[in-house]
Amino acid sequence: MAFFPSITVRSPWLYRINAGSCNGCDVELATTAFIPRFDVERLGCKYCGSPRHADIVFITGPLTLRVRDKVLRVWNEIPEPKITIAVGICPISGGVFRGGHSIDGPVDRYIPVDVNVPGCPPRPQAIMEGVLLARDLWLQRLEEGKAGKAEAAYAAIS
Amino acid sequence: MQDLFSSLSLAGWALFHLLIFPGGLFALSAGLLFKGLDRKFEARLQRRVGPPVVQPLLDLVKLAGKESMLPETAHRTIFHVAPLLGLVGMAVCAALLPVPGAYGGLPGMGDMLVYFYLLPLPAVALILAGSSSSSPFGALGFSREMTIMFAYEIPLLMVILAVALKVGQGQAAEFSLGAIVAYQLENGQFGLHWALLPAFLAYLAFLPGTMGVPPFDIPEAETEIVEGPLLEYSGASLACFQLAGVLKSIVVLGLGVILFFPGTVPGGAALNVIWFLAKCLLLMCVSLTLVKAACGRFRVEQAFSFYLKYPAGLAALSLILVWVSL
Repeated sequence: MAFFPSITVRSPWLYRINAGSCNGCDVELATTAFIPRFDVERLGCKYCGSPRHADIVFITGPLTLRVRDKVLRVWNEIPEPKITIAVGICPISGGVFRGGHSIDGPVDRYIPVDVNVPGCPPRPQAIMEGVLLARDLWLQRLEEGKAGKAEAAYAAIS
Repeated sequence: MQDLFSSLSLAGWALFHLLIFPGGLFALSAGLLFKGLDRKFEARLQRRVGPPVVQPLLDLVKLAGKESMLPETAHRTIFHVAPLLGLVGMAVCAALLPVPGAYGGLPGMGDMLVYFYLLPLPAVALILAGSSSSSPFGALGFSREMTIMFAYEIPLLMVILAVALKVGQGQAAEFSLGAIVAYQLENGQFGLHWALLPAFLAYLAFLPGTMGVPPFDIPEAETEIVEGPLLEYSGASLACFQLAGVLKSIVVLGLGVILFFPGTVPGGAALNVIWFLAKCLLLMCVSLTLVKAACGRFRVEQAFSFYLKYPAGLAALSLILVWVSL
């Protein structure tokens, strides 16, 4: 139950899950998107350490067998409503690791992915565009949730 | 009948001070503004654009509407009470804060010893939160918080003693904040006094420790122990911790201004409130934002020995100088 959806979406807190990535995309996320030239903090974003504080979650890596259960468990710890972004080509299709014996991806076999940001690694501008798309989706979902509740209440009265 | 009226009006004034000025609404809006300016200033120091100044308020609105989760193995009561404990303690502290030239503090209540007991409450809340959340990271975080709390409280106690001894002129230790402000307005500010300058430096070093900002954000280190005691909190209870932090920043900065630079400007109460806030803001920029933007993070034993060597040493030196200068 968000109070003011248009205010709520101005404070997206970001969380990163590494699903067996080579760290290329993680470097892009951690440093490039936060350096002076790009600075996602101007959108009100903040990287948080705990999955319980997160609103938008980045998944990098092709989802290896070893981390699959842990990734799913951490993803389930994130409170609703959350938006999932797949960063890099690996979580989207498996990339060069597709079909490997230790790969259980792509990620959307297990997790509903909302935004894809392809690239190997993606450019920081693309990552920031992904954040903006995720923000729009989040706003849409919050408003739909409110409308849904209002409709249910109306149906209950009539 | 007369007694009833006077006690009722006293209670009314106490409520006003708790909810409107200088606690409650005033402290909260000033604290949120300070936190926004702090983030903006830090970003500008790193040549970034930074978030909008209202960002802390937006974060609070967001958190209030988020789902609040309770871990299955957590201690239910303590897990829910802990965030409120810190918030209530800081709300009381803010209500007792005198604003030189505008508000003298509640009569007979604004006392430095009360502050010494109430100021650790947010840290105690973190300790309770970490131990009740049944998470190993929470346990690590609360043991770190306990260690560092004992280290930074010792210099604070010596700073308080030095100031009290100076105001009491060696006859008695004077702990009332109102008396401390009055003494300094008559005899010059302590921040410019040679005997109390080391105590001021010790207080500057105490600030980042008690506010938990780098290099002393050891209990909540998000990159190593994933925010420690706050790990399991989400939604409104996390917002309570943030509110307590916002109020605490006003309380500790305001206490620093009152103890060392309570000078007033001519021209009425409103101007003096602005002057007080401006001094608090300057203190925050020097002791919190600049340090935060430039530093990494200490290990807990490094922070412990730092506080017991330098700030405690400076405060002890100040205590001796005050004793000599009497």
